[in-house]
Amino acid sequence: MSRALIAILAAIVVLPLVVRPAIASEIWIFAIFGLGLNLLLGYTGLLSFGQSTFFGSAAYVAGWLLKHYAINVFLALGIGVAVGAASAALVGYLCVQRSGLYFIMLTFALNQLFYFIAYQWTGVTGGEDGMPGIPRPDFLGIDFGEPLPYYAFVSALFLLSLWIMKRIVESPLGKILQAIRENEVRAEALGYDTARFKLAAFVIGGAFSGLAGVLYAMLFGIVPLEAIGFVTSGNVVFATLIGGSGSLYGPVIGSFVFIWLSESVSTLWARWPLLLGVAFVIVVLFFRGGVVEAWARFSAWRERKWRSSRQTG
Amino acid sequence: MLYALMGLGLALITGVLNIPNFAHGALFAVGAYLLASTANLIGNFWLALVVAPLGAALLGLAIEYLGIRRLYAAGHDYQLLFTFGLALILSEAIILVWGPVGYSHLPPPVLRGGVDLGFTFYPKYRLFVMVAAGLLVLATWLFLEKTRYGAIMRAGIENKEMVSLLGIDIHKLFTAAFALGAYLAGIAGALTAPIRGLSPGMGVDMLGIAFVVVALGGLGNLLGAIAAGLLIGVAQAVVAAHWTEASSVVIYAVMAAVLLVRPQGLFGIR
Repeated sequence: MSRALIAILAAIVVLPLVVRPAIASEIWIFAIFGLGLNLLLGYTGLLSFGQSTFFGSAAYVAGWLLKHYAINVFLALGIGVAVGAASAALVGYLCVQRSGLYFIMLTFALNQLFYFIAYQWTGVTGGEDGMPGIPRPDFLGIDFGEPLPYYAFVSALFLLSLWIMKRIVESPLGKILQAIRENEVRAEALGYDTARFKLAAFVIGGAFSGLAGVLYAMLFGIVPLEAIGFVTSGNVVFATLIGGSGSLYGPVIGSFVFIWLSESVSTLWARWPLLLGVAFVIVVLFFRGGVVEAWARFSAWRERKWRSSRQTG
Repeated sequence: MLYALMGLGLALITGVLNIPNFAHGALFAVGAYLLASTANLIGNFWLALVVAPLGAALLGLAIEYLGIRRLYAAGHDYQLLFTFGLALILSEAIILVWGPVGYSHLPPPVLRGGVDLGFTFYPKYRLFVMVAAGLLVLATWLFLEKTRYGAIMRAGIENKEMVSLLGIDIHKLFTAAFALGAYLAGIAGALTAPIRGLSPGMGVDMLGIAFVVVALGGLGNLLGAIAAGLLIGVAQAVVAAHWTEASSVVIYAVMAAVLLVRPQGLFGIR
Protein backbone atom coordinates (compact mmCIF):
# COMPACT_ATOMS: atom_id res chain seq x y z
CA MET A 1 0.00 0.00 0.00
CA SER A 2 1.46 3.32 -1.01
CA ARG A 3 1.80 6.30 1.29
CA ALA A 4 -0.69 8.31 -0.75
CA LEU A 5 -3.31 5.62 -0.34
CA ILE A 6 -2.75 5.45 3.42
CA ALA A 7 -3.10 9.22 3.60
CA ILE A 8 -6.37 9.08 1.66
CA LEU A 9 -7.78 6.29 3.82
CA ALA A 10 -6.85 8.25 6.93
CA ALA A 11 -8.51 11.35 5.49
CA ILE A 12 -11.68 9.38 4.75
CA VAL A 13 -11.88 8.29 8.38
CA VAL A 14 -10.93 11.62 9.98
CA LEU A 15 -12.80 14.00 7.69
CA PRO A 16 -16.38 13.44 8.97
CA LEU A 17 -15.13 14.07 12.51
CA VAL A 18 -13.77 17.48 11.51
CA VAL A 19 -16.35 18.85 9.07
CA ARG A 20 -20.05 18.25 8.48
CA PRO A 21 -20.65 14.90 6.70
CA ALA A 22 -22.27 16.75 3.78
CA ILE A 23 -19.08 18.70 3.15
CA ALA A 24 -16.97 15.60 3.63
CA SER A 25 -19.11 13.79 1.03
CA GLU A 26 -18.88 16.77 -1.30
CA ILE A 27 -15.08 16.65 -1.16
CA TRP A 28 -14.93 13.05 -2.40
CA ILE A 29 -17.65 13.68 -4.99
CA PHE A 30 -15.73 16.64 -6.31
CA ALA A 31 -12.59 14.50 -6.30
CA ILE A 32 -14.32 11.97 -8.60
CA PHE A 33 -15.29 14.89 -10.85
CA GLY A 34 -11.68 16.10 -10.79
CA LEU A 35 -10.31 12.63 -11.61
CA GLY A 36 -12.39 12.67 -14.77
CA LEU A 37 -11.16 16.10 -15.81
CA ASN A 38 -7.57 15.22 -14.99
CA LEU A 39 -7.59 12.36 -17.49
CA LEU A 40 -8.24 15.05 -20.11
CA LEU A 41 -6.26 17.96 -18.70
CA GLY A 42 -3.37 16.24 -16.99
CA TYR A 43 -2.89 13.09 -19.02
CA THR A 44 -4.08 14.01 -22.51
CA GLY A 45 -3.33 17.73 -22.45
CA LEU A 46 -6.88 18.72 -23.36
CA LEU A 47 -8.20 21.68 -21.39
CA SER A 48 -11.94 21.08 -21.27
CA PHE A 49 -13.87 24.01 -19.92
CA GLY A 50 -17.20 22.25 -20.23
CA GLN A 51 -17.06 19.40 -17.71
CA SER A 52 -20.24 20.55 -15.98
CA THR A 53 -22.14 19.58 -19.15
CA PHE A 54 -21.71 15.92 -18.23
CA PHE A 55 -21.95 16.48 -14.49
CA GLY A 56 -25.21 18.41 -14.84
CA SER A 57 -26.80 16.27 -17.55
CA ALA A 58 -26.27 13.11 -15.51
CA ALA A 59 -27.59 14.81 -12.38
CA TYR A 60 -30.74 15.95 -14.16
CA VAL A 61 -31.53 12.66 -15.90
CA ALA A 62 -30.81 10.39 -12.92
CA GLY A 63 -32.42 12.87 -10.54
CA TRP A 64 -35.58 12.95 -12.60
CA LEU A 65 -35.76 9.16 -12.71
CA LEU A 66 -35.09 8.89 -8.98
CA LYS A 67 -37.79 11.41 -8.27
CA HIS A 68 -40.54 10.15 -10.56
CA TYR A 69 -39.82 6.43 -10.87
CA ALA A 70 -38.08 5.74 -7.55
CA ILE A 71 -35.34 3.73 -9.22
CA ASN A 72 -32.66 1.74 -7.41
CA VAL A 73 -29.52 3.61 -6.26
CA PHE A 74 -27.16 1.58 -8.39
CA LEU A 75 -29.41 1.89 -11.42
CA ALA A 76 -29.37 5.66 -10.92
CA LEU A 77 -25.58 5.67 -10.72
CA GLY A 78 -25.34 3.48 -13.81
CA ILE A 79 -27.65 5.77 -15.71
CA GLY A 80 -25.64 8.77 -14.57
CA VAL A 81 -22.42 7.21 -15.81
CA ALA A 82 -24.09 6.36 -19.12
CA VAL A 83 -25.54 9.85 -19.56
CA GLY A 84 -22.20 11.43 -18.67
CA ALA A 85 -20.40 9.24 -21.18
CA ALA A 86 -23.02 9.76 -23.91
CA SER A 87 -23.09 13.56 -23.56
CA ALA A 88 -19.29 13.55 -23.52
CA ALA A 89 -19.25 11.50 -26.71
CA LEU A 90 -21.54 14.07 -28.33
CA VAL A 91 -19.52 17.09 -27.20
CA GLY A 92 -16.22 15.33 -27.71
CA TYR A 93 -17.06 14.43 -31.30
CA LEU A 94 -17.42 18.14 -32.10
CA CYS A 95 -14.40 19.23 -30.09
CA VAL A 96 -11.57 16.74 -30.55
CA GLN A 97 -10.99 17.76 -34.13
CA ARG A 98 -9.74 21.12 -32.89
CA SER A 99 -6.96 21.97 -30.50
CA GLY A 100 -5.64 24.80 -28.36
CA LEU A 101 -7.78 27.88 -27.90
CA TYR A 102 -10.39 26.62 -30.29
CA PHE A 103 -10.91 23.48 -28.24
CA ILE A 104 -11.34 25.43 -25.00
CA MET A 105 -13.85 27.80 -26.55
CA LEU A 106 -15.86 25.00 -28.10
CA THR A 107 -16.16 23.04 -24.87
CA PHE A 108 -17.32 26.22 -23.17
CA ALA A 109 -19.81 27.14 -25.91
CA LEU A 110 -21.34 23.66 -25.88
CA ASN A 111 -21.53 23.88 -22.10
CA GLN A 112 -23.58 27.03 -22.59
CA LEU A 113 -25.84 25.17 -25.05
CA PHE A 114 -26.69 22.57 -22.39
CA TYR A 115 -27.00 25.29 -19.76
CA PHE A 116 -29.59 27.20 -21.76
CA ILE A 117 -31.54 24.04 -22.50
CA ALA A 118 -31.70 23.35 -18.75
CA TYR A 119 -32.54 26.99 -18.11
CA GLN A 120 -35.45 27.08 -20.54
CA TRP A 121 -36.82 23.56 -20.11
CA THR A 122 -38.47 24.49 -16.81
CA GLY A 123 -41.07 21.70 -17.00
CA VAL A 124 -38.36 19.13 -16.30
CA THR A 125 -35.38 20.94 -14.83
CA GLY A 126 -37.18 23.63 -12.85
CA GLY A 127 -35.07 26.26 -14.60
CA GLU A 128 -33.49 28.73 -12.25
CA ASP A 129 -35.09 27.16 -9.18
CA GLY A 130 -33.38 23.84 -9.79
CA MET A 131 -34.85 20.37 -9.56
CA PRO A 132 -35.64 19.67 -5.90
CA GLY A 133 -36.95 16.60 -4.10
CA ILE A 134 -34.44 14.00 -5.21
CA PRO A 135 -34.57 11.06 -2.81
CA ARG A 136 -31.76 8.88 -1.52
CA PRO A 137 -33.37 5.45 -1.67
CA ASP A 138 -32.46 2.66 0.79
CA PHE A 139 -30.40 -0.22 -0.38
CA LEU A 140 -30.39 -3.65 1.30
CA GLY A 141 -31.81 -2.09 4.41
CA ILE A 142 -29.10 0.58 4.62
CA ASP A 143 -30.69 3.99 5.03
CA PHE A 144 -28.72 6.34 2.80
CA GLY A 145 -30.96 9.16 3.98
CA GLU A 146 -28.69 9.32 7.03
CA PRO A 147 -25.58 11.42 6.42
CA LEU A 148 -22.95 8.96 7.64
CA PRO A 149 -24.01 5.85 5.69
CA TYR A 150 -24.20 8.02 2.60
CA TYR A 151 -20.74 9.36 3.35
CA ALA A 152 -19.41 5.82 3.58
CA PHE A 153 -21.11 4.97 0.30
CA VAL A 154 -19.58 8.02 -1.43
CA SER A 155 -16.14 7.24 0.00
CA ALA A 156 -16.31 3.67 -1.24
CA LEU A 157 -17.29 4.85 -4.72
CA PHE A 158 -14.47 7.38 -4.63
CA LEU A 159 -11.93 4.66 -3.82
CA LEU A 160 -13.36 2.53 -6.60
CA SER A 161 -13.08 5.47 -9.02
CA LEU A 162 -9.52 6.16 -7.93
CA TRP A 163 -8.59 2.51 -8.47
CA ILE A 164 -10.21 2.44 -11.92
CA MET A 165 -8.49 5.69 -12.89
CA LYS A 166 -5.14 4.34 -11.70
CA ARG A 167 -5.67 1.28 -13.88
CA ILE A 168 -6.61 3.48 -16.83
CA VAL A 169 -3.62 5.81 -16.67
CA GLU A 170 -1.25 2.87 -16.22
CA SER A 171 -2.82 0.93 -19.08
CA PRO A 172 -1.61 1.12 -22.69
CA LEU A 173 -4.50 3.52 -23.33
CA GLY A 174 -3.17 5.84 -20.63
CA LYS A 175 0.32 5.70 -22.13
CA ILE A 176 -1.02 6.60 -25.56
CA LEU A 177 -2.94 9.52 -24.10
CA GLN A 178 0.25 10.77 -22.45
CA ALA A 179 2.05 10.38 -25.76
CA ILE A 180 -0.61 12.59 -27.33
CA ARG A 181 -0.05 15.16 -24.60
CA GLU A 182 3.70 15.17 -25.16
CA ASN A 183 3.67 15.21 -28.93
CA GLU A 184 0.48 14.67 -30.86
CA VAL A 185 2.09 14.69 -34.29
CA ARG A 186 4.54 12.00 -33.26
CA ALA A 187 1.79 9.87 -31.71
CA GLU A 188 -0.09 10.13 -34.97
CA ALA A 189 3.03 9.27 -36.95
CA LEU A 190 3.37 6.11 -34.84
CA GLY A 191 0.05 5.03 -36.27
CA TYR A 192 -2.36 5.98 -33.51
CA ASP A 193 -5.66 7.53 -34.50
CA THR A 194 -5.25 10.41 -32.04
CA ALA A 195 -8.73 11.84 -32.57
CA ARG A 196 -10.25 8.52 -31.52
CA PHE A 197 -8.08 8.26 -28.43
CA LYS A 198 -8.92 11.83 -27.43
CA LEU A 199 -12.58 11.00 -27.86
CA ALA A 200 -12.09 7.94 -25.66
CA ALA A 201 -10.51 10.12 -22.97
CA PHE A 202 -13.45 12.48 -23.28
CA VAL A 203 -16.00 9.70 -22.85
CA ILE A 204 -14.20 8.21 -19.83
CA GLY A 205 -13.89 11.67 -18.27
CA GLY A 206 -17.59 12.21 -18.96
CA ALA A 207 -18.48 8.93 -17.24
CA PHE A 208 -16.61 10.01 -14.07
CA SER A 209 -18.30 13.42 -14.22
CA GLY A 210 -21.67 11.69 -14.59
CA LEU A 211 -21.05 9.53 -11.52
CA ALA A 212 -20.08 12.62 -9.55
CA GLY A 213 -23.16 14.46 -10.81
CA VAL A 214 -25.61 11.79 -9.59
CA LEU A 215 -23.88 11.52 -6.20
CA TYR A 216 -24.06 15.30 -5.92
CA ALA A 217 -27.78 15.35 -6.74
CA MET A 218 -28.48 12.68 -4.13
CA LEU A 219 -26.27 14.41 -1.55
CA PHE A 220 -28.15 17.70 -1.64
CA GLY A 221 -31.49 16.34 -2.83
CA ILE A 222 -31.56 18.97 -5.54
CA VAL A 223 -29.99 19.68 -8.91
CA PRO A 224 -29.35 23.43 -8.92
CA LEU A 225 -29.01 25.18 -12.27
CA GLU A 226 -25.40 26.01 -11.35
CA ALA A 227 -24.61 22.28 -11.54
CA ILE A 228 -24.58 22.60 -15.33
CA GLY A 229 -23.24 26.17 -15.42
CA PHE A 230 -19.80 27.26 -16.53
CA VAL A 231 -18.73 28.27 -13.02
CA THR A 232 -18.86 24.59 -12.04
CA SER A 233 -16.68 23.80 -15.05
CA GLY A 234 -14.26 26.50 -13.95
CA ASN A 235 -14.20 25.28 -10.37
CA VAL A 236 -13.19 21.76 -11.29
CA VAL A 237 -10.43 23.11 -13.53
CA PHE A 238 -9.23 25.28 -10.67
CA ALA A 239 -9.37 22.45 -8.15
CA THR A 240 -7.40 20.18 -10.46
CA LEU A 241 -4.78 22.83 -11.16
CA ILE A 242 -4.24 23.83 -7.52
CA GLY A 243 -3.81 20.17 -6.67
CA GLY A 244 -1.41 19.81 -9.53
CA SER A 245 -2.56 18.27 -12.79
CA GLY A 246 -0.70 15.38 -14.33
CA SER A 247 -0.47 13.39 -11.14
CA LEU A 248 -3.12 10.90 -10.12
CA TYR A 249 -3.65 12.42 -6.68
CA GLY A 250 -3.51 16.07 -7.76
CA PRO A 251 -7.26 16.52 -8.24
CA VAL A 252 -7.92 14.73 -4.94
CA ILE A 253 -5.75 17.22 -3.02
CA GLY A 254 -7.21 20.03 -5.11
CA SER A 255 -10.84 19.22 -4.41
CA PHE A 256 -10.04 18.81 -0.73
CA VAL A 257 -8.53 22.31 -0.60
CA PHE A 258 -11.14 23.83 -2.89
CA ILE A 259 -14.32 22.48 -1.25
CA TRP A 260 -13.05 23.00 2.25
CA LEU A 261 -12.03 26.60 1.57
CA SER A 262 -15.10 27.54 -0.44
CA GLU A 263 -17.45 25.99 2.12
CA SER A 264 -15.81 27.83 4.98
CA VAL A 265 -15.70 31.16 3.13
CA SER A 266 -19.15 30.98 1.55
CA THR A 267 -20.85 30.99 4.95
CA LEU A 268 -19.01 34.18 5.89
CA TRP A 269 -19.80 36.43 2.95
CA ALA A 270 -22.41 36.24 0.19
CA ARG A 271 -19.93 37.74 -2.27
CA TRP A 272 -17.42 34.93 -1.77
CA PRO A 273 -17.00 34.29 -5.51
CA LEU A 274 -15.08 37.58 -5.45
CA LEU A 275 -12.54 36.00 -3.10
CA LEU A 276 -12.54 32.92 -5.28
CA GLY A 277 -11.66 35.10 -8.27
CA VAL A 278 -8.89 36.76 -6.30
CA ALA A 279 -7.60 33.32 -5.31
CA PHE A 280 -7.55 32.25 -8.99
CA VAL A 281 -5.56 35.34 -9.94
CA ILE A 282 -3.08 34.98 -7.08
CA VAL A 283 -2.53 31.29 -7.74
CA VAL A 284 -1.97 31.92 -11.43
CA LEU A 285 0.42 34.83 -10.91
CA PHE A 286 2.44 33.45 -8.03
CA PHE A 287 1.80 29.75 -7.42
CA ARG A 288 1.68 28.14 -10.79
CA GLY A 289 2.25 24.42 -10.38
CA GLY A 290 -0.19 23.95 -7.53
CA VAL A 291 0.10 22.88 -3.93
CA VAL A 292 2.73 20.27 -4.70
CA GLU A 293 5.08 22.82 -6.25
CA ALA A 294 4.36 25.48 -3.63
CA TRP A 295 5.42 23.00 -0.96
CA ALA A 296 8.61 22.19 -2.86
CA ARG A 297 9.43 25.89 -3.17
CA PHE A 298 8.72 26.45 0.50
CA SER A 299 11.07 23.62 1.48
CA ALA A 300 13.77 25.01 -0.81
CA TRP A 301 13.37 28.45 0.76
CA ARG A 302 13.62 26.98 4.25
CA GLU A 303 16.72 25.07 3.28
CA ARG A 304 18.36 28.21 1.87
CA LYS A 305 17.53 30.12 4.99
CA TRP A 306 18.90 27.37 7.16
CA ARG A 307 22.15 27.30 5.17
CA SER A 308 22.61 31.06 5.16
CA SER A 309 21.98 31.22 8.89
CA ARG A 310 24.66 28.56 9.35
CA GLN A 311 27.13 30.52 7.24
CA THR A 312 26.61 33.78 9.04
CA GLY A 313 26.33 32.21 12.47
CA MET B 1 -24.41 44.05 -35.25
CA LEU B 2 -23.66 44.05 -31.54
CA TYR B 3 -22.60 40.44 -31.80
CA ALA B 4 -20.28 41.37 -34.64
CA LEU B 5 -18.78 44.08 -32.44
CA MET B 6 -18.23 41.68 -29.55
CA GLY B 7 -16.90 38.97 -31.83
CA LEU B 8 -14.51 41.36 -33.56
CA GLY B 9 -13.03 42.48 -30.26
CA LEU B 10 -12.60 38.92 -29.03
CA ALA B 11 -11.25 37.74 -32.38
CA LEU B 12 -8.62 40.46 -32.15
CA ILE B 13 -7.60 39.39 -28.65
CA THR B 14 -7.56 35.66 -29.36
CA GLY B 15 -5.88 36.26 -32.69
CA VAL B 16 -3.08 38.59 -31.63
CA LEU B 17 -2.48 37.47 -28.05
CA ASN B 18 -3.45 33.80 -28.43
CA ILE B 19 -5.16 33.65 -25.05
CA PRO B 20 -8.68 32.53 -24.08
CA ASN B 21 -10.19 35.75 -22.78
CA PHE B 22 -12.95 34.73 -20.38
CA ALA B 23 -13.09 38.29 -19.09
CA HIS B 24 -14.49 39.56 -22.38
CA GLY B 25 -18.07 39.29 -21.18
CA ALA B 26 -17.20 41.06 -17.94
CA LEU B 27 -15.70 43.95 -19.91
CA PHE B 28 -18.97 44.11 -21.82
CA ALA B 29 -20.91 44.35 -18.56
CA VAL B 30 -18.51 46.96 -17.20
CA GLY B 31 -19.13 49.06 -20.31
CA ALA B 32 -22.89 48.85 -19.79
CA TYR B 33 -22.78 49.75 -16.09
CA LEU B 34 -20.31 52.57 -16.67
CA LEU B 35 -22.63 54.03 -19.27
CA ALA B 36 -25.64 53.94 -16.98
CA SER B 37 -23.71 55.49 -14.09
CA THR B 38 -21.98 58.25 -16.02
CA ALA B 39 -25.17 59.08 -17.94
CA ASN B 40 -27.03 59.45 -14.64
CA LEU B 41 -24.17 61.40 -13.09
CA ILE B 42 -23.53 63.96 -15.82
CA GLY B 43 -26.94 63.78 -17.39
CA ASN B 44 -25.59 63.44 -20.90
CA PHE B 45 -26.02 60.14 -22.72
CA TRP B 46 -23.66 61.01 -25.58
CA LEU B 47 -20.76 61.98 -23.37
CA ALA B 48 -21.34 58.82 -21.34
CA LEU B 49 -21.23 56.81 -24.56
CA VAL B 50 -17.75 58.19 -25.13
CA VAL B 51 -16.54 57.79 -21.55
CA ALA B 52 -17.85 54.29 -20.71
CA PRO B 53 -15.99 52.30 -23.40
CA LEU B 54 -12.83 54.26 -22.63
CA GLY B 55 -13.19 53.07 -19.06
CA ALA B 56 -13.44 49.48 -20.30
CA ALA B 57 -10.41 50.04 -22.53
CA LEU B 58 -8.40 51.41 -19.60
CA LEU B 59 -9.39 48.41 -17.53
CA GLY B 60 -8.31 46.17 -20.41
CA LEU B 61 -5.01 48.04 -20.56
CA ALA B 62 -4.42 47.46 -16.87
CA ILE B 63 -5.38 43.78 -17.09
CA GLU B 64 -2.97 43.14 -19.92
CA TYR B 65 -0.16 45.20 -18.45
CA LEU B 66 -0.37 43.87 -14.90
CA GLY B 67 -1.51 40.31 -15.43
CA ILE B 68 -1.74 38.75 -18.84
CA ARG B 69 1.71 40.04 -19.83
CA ARG B 70 3.28 37.64 -17.34
CA LEU B 71 1.32 34.68 -18.64
CA TYR B 72 2.18 34.44 -22.33
CA ALA B 73 4.57 31.58 -21.65
CA ALA B 74 2.32 29.91 -19.08
CA GLY B 75 0.00 27.79 -21.20
CA HIS B 76 -3.70 28.10 -21.86
CA ASP B 77 -4.80 26.50 -18.61
CA TYR B 78 -3.35 29.25 -16.45
CA GLN B 79 -4.36 32.01 -18.85
CA LEU B 80 -7.89 30.66 -18.74
CA LEU B 81 -7.89 30.48 -14.98
CA PHE B 82 -6.61 34.04 -14.76
CA THR B 83 -9.20 35.56 -17.07
CA PHE B 84 -11.91 33.41 -15.50
CA GLY B 85 -10.86 34.69 -12.08
CA LEU B 86 -11.00 38.24 -13.41
CA ALA B 87 -14.49 37.61 -14.78
CA LEU B 88 -15.59 36.41 -11.32
CA ILE B 89 -14.00 39.43 -9.64
CA LEU B 90 -15.56 41.90 -12.08
CA SER B 91 -19.04 40.43 -11.93
CA GLU B 92 -18.96 40.29 -8.13
CA ALA B 93 -17.58 43.83 -8.04
CA ILE B 94 -20.53 44.91 -10.18
CA ILE B 95 -22.90 43.35 -7.63
CA LEU B 96 -21.05 45.10 -4.81
CA VAL B 97 -21.14 48.50 -6.46
CA TRP B 98 -24.47 48.44 -8.26
CA GLY B 99 -26.42 45.76 -6.39
CA PRO B 100 -27.57 42.26 -7.40
CA VAL B 101 -30.87 43.36 -8.94
CA GLY B 102 -30.90 44.32 -12.59
CA TYR B 103 -32.40 47.58 -13.69
CA SER B 104 -33.22 49.36 -16.90
CA HIS B 105 -31.69 52.43 -18.41
CA LEU B 106 -33.72 54.58 -20.74
CA PRO B 107 -32.28 55.78 -24.03
CA PRO B 108 -31.87 59.56 -24.42
CA PRO B 109 -35.13 61.43 -25.18
CA VAL B 110 -34.22 61.98 -28.83
CA LEU B 111 -34.10 58.26 -29.43
CA ARG B 112 -37.23 57.21 -27.56
CA GLY B 113 -40.26 56.05 -29.48
CA GLY B 114 -40.19 54.44 -32.87
CA VAL B 115 -40.15 55.16 -36.54
CA ASP B 116 -42.55 53.95 -39.20
CA LEU B 117 -40.51 52.19 -41.85
CA GLY B 118 -43.55 51.61 -44.06
CA PHE B 119 -43.64 47.84 -43.64
CA THR B 120 -42.94 47.74 -39.92
CA PHE B 121 -42.71 49.92 -36.85
CA TYR B 122 -39.21 49.95 -35.38
CA PRO B 123 -37.88 51.50 -32.13
CA LYS B 124 -35.65 54.49 -32.86
CA TYR B 125 -32.97 53.45 -30.40
CA ARG B 126 -32.52 50.01 -31.93
CA LEU B 127 -32.15 51.65 -35.32
CA PHE B 128 -29.51 53.94 -33.83
CA VAL B 129 -27.64 51.00 -32.31
CA MET B 130 -27.70 49.17 -35.60
CA VAL B 131 -26.23 52.14 -37.45
CA ALA B 132 -23.74 53.01 -34.71
CA ALA B 133 -22.52 49.42 -34.34
CA GLY B 134 -22.29 49.11 -38.11
CA LEU B 135 -20.20 52.25 -38.32
CA LEU B 136 -17.96 51.06 -35.49
CA VAL B 137 -17.37 47.73 -37.17
CA LEU B 138 -16.61 49.56 -40.39
CA ALA B 139 -14.26 51.98 -38.63
CA THR B 140 -12.41 49.15 -36.88
CA TRP B 141 -12.18 47.29 -40.12
CA LEU B 142 -10.79 50.33 -41.95
CA PHE B 143 -8.32 50.89 -39.12
CA LEU B 144 -7.09 47.32 -39.37
CA GLU B 145 -7.05 47.28 -43.14
CA LYS B 146 -5.87 50.74 -44.15
CA THR B 147 -3.65 52.11 -41.42
CA ARG B 148 -0.08 51.26 -40.50
CA TYR B 149 -1.06 50.23 -36.96
CA GLY B 150 -3.82 48.04 -38.30
CA ALA B 151 -1.37 46.35 -40.62
CA ILE B 152 0.97 45.69 -37.69
CA MET B 153 -1.89 44.11 -35.73
CA ARG B 154 -2.87 41.85 -38.60
CA ALA B 155 0.77 40.94 -39.03
CA GLY B 156 0.80 40.06 -35.32
CA ILE B 157 -1.93 37.51 -35.93
CA GLU B 158 -0.06 36.00 -38.86
CA ASN B 159 3.45 35.75 -37.48
CA LYS B 160 4.59 37.15 -34.16
CA GLU B 161 8.28 36.30 -34.50
CA MET B 162 8.48 38.08 -37.82
CA VAL B 163 6.82 41.18 -36.43
CA SER B 164 9.28 41.44 -33.56
CA LEU B 165 12.18 40.74 -35.93
CA LEU B 166 11.10 43.78 -37.90
CA GLY B 167 11.84 45.89 -34.86
CA ILE B 168 8.30 46.32 -33.58
CA ASP B 169 7.73 46.11 -29.84
CA ILE B 170 5.48 43.07 -29.67
CA HIS B 171 4.50 43.81 -26.07
CA LYS B 172 3.13 47.21 -27.03
CA LEU B 173 1.23 45.52 -29.83
CA PHE B 174 -0.28 43.00 -27.39
CA THR B 175 -1.31 45.74 -24.98
CA ALA B 176 -2.84 47.79 -27.77
CA ALA B 177 -4.75 44.82 -29.18
CA PHE B 178 -6.15 43.90 -25.77
CA ALA B 179 -7.17 47.50 -25.06
CA LEU B 180 -8.84 47.80 -28.45
CA GLY B 181 -10.68 44.52 -27.89
CA ALA B 182 -11.76 45.72 -24.45
CA TYR B 183 -12.89 49.02 -25.97
CA LEU B 184 -15.07 47.20 -28.50
CA ALA B 185 -16.56 45.03 -25.73
CA GLY B 186 -17.17 48.12 -23.60
CA ILE B 187 -18.93 50.06 -26.32
CA ALA B 188 -21.04 47.03 -27.23
CA GLY B 189 -22.09 46.89 -23.58
CA ALA B 190 -22.76 50.61 -23.44
CA LEU B 191 -24.95 50.46 -26.55
CA THR B 192 -26.80 47.43 -25.20
CA ALA B 193 -27.66 48.94 -21.81
CA PRO B 194 -30.76 50.86 -22.95
CA ILE B 195 -32.07 47.87 -24.94
CA ARG B 196 -31.71 44.96 -22.58
CA GLY B 197 -31.22 46.74 -19.28
CA LEU B 198 -28.47 45.91 -16.83
CA SER B 199 -27.94 42.79 -14.81
CA PRO B 200 -24.84 41.23 -13.26
CA GLY B 201 -25.31 38.14 -15.41
CA MET B 202 -25.28 40.02 -18.70
CA GLY B 203 -21.56 39.49 -19.18
CA VAL B 204 -21.67 35.71 -19.07
CA ASP B 205 -24.46 35.47 -21.60
CA MET B 206 -22.54 37.71 -23.95
CA LEU B 207 -19.28 35.84 -23.37
CA GLY B 208 -20.81 32.63 -24.69
CA ILE B 209 -22.10 34.42 -27.74
CA ALA B 210 -18.76 36.09 -28.42
CA PHE B 211 -17.04 32.69 -28.29
CA VAL B 212 -19.56 31.25 -30.70
CA VAL B 213 -18.99 34.15 -33.07
CA VAL B 214 -15.23 33.69 -32.99
CA ALA B 215 -15.48 29.91 -33.35
CA LEU B 216 -17.86 30.29 -36.28
CA GLY B 217 -15.81 32.97 -37.98
CA GLY B 218 -12.65 30.92 -37.69
CA LEU B 219 -9.87 31.74 -35.23
CA GLY B 220 -7.84 34.78 -36.16
CA ASN B 221 -10.22 35.68 -38.94
CA LEU B 222 -11.56 39.18 -38.31
CA LEU B 223 -13.82 39.44 -41.34
CA GLY B 224 -15.17 36.00 -40.50
CA ALA B 225 -16.02 37.20 -37.00
CA ILE B 226 -18.02 40.10 -38.40
CA ALA B 227 -19.92 37.85 -40.80
CA ALA B 228 -20.55 35.24 -38.11
CA GLY B 229 -21.79 37.94 -35.75
CA LEU B 230 -24.35 39.05 -38.30
CA LEU B 231 -25.39 35.46 -39.05
CA ILE B 232 -25.90 34.66 -35.37
CA GLY B 233 -27.82 37.88 -34.78
CA VAL B 234 -30.18 37.21 -37.67
CA ALA B 235 -30.66 33.55 -36.73
CA GLN B 236 -31.51 34.52 -33.17
CA ALA B 237 -33.94 37.24 -34.26
CA VAL B 238 -35.76 34.90 -36.64
CA VAL B 239 -36.10 32.15 -34.04
CA ALA B 240 -37.07 34.60 -31.30
CA ALA B 241 -39.95 35.81 -33.44
CA HIS B 242 -41.42 32.31 -33.68
CA TRP B 243 -40.25 30.47 -30.58
CA THR B 244 -39.03 32.80 -27.85
CA GLU B 245 -37.81 30.12 -25.43
CA ALA B 246 -35.39 28.70 -27.96
CA SER B 247 -33.71 32.00 -28.85
CA SER B 248 -30.71 31.54 -26.57
CA VAL B 249 -30.29 27.89 -27.47
CA VAL B 250 -30.39 28.52 -31.21
CA ILE B 251 -27.06 30.37 -31.17
CA TYR B 252 -25.25 27.31 -29.90
CA ALA B 253 -27.27 24.95 -32.06
CA VAL B 254 -26.27 26.92 -35.17
CA MET B 255 -22.66 26.71 -34.06
CA ALA B 256 -22.82 22.96 -33.46
CA ALA B 257 -24.48 22.43 -36.85
CA VAL B 258 -21.92 24.51 -38.72
CA LEU B 259 -19.00 22.84 -36.96
CA LEU B 260 -20.33 19.41 -37.90
CA VAL B 261 -20.08 20.37 -41.54
CA ARG B 262 -17.09 22.69 -41.38
CA PRO B 263 -14.99 22.00 -38.27
CA GLN B 264 -12.66 24.90 -39.06
CA GLY B 265 -15.52 27.42 -38.90
CA LEU B 266 -17.25 29.21 -41.72
CA PHE B 267 -14.20 31.09 -42.94
CA GLY B 268 -11.42 29.41 -41.02
CA ILE B 269 -8.33 28.18 -42.73
CA ARG B 270 -6.52 26.78 -39.70
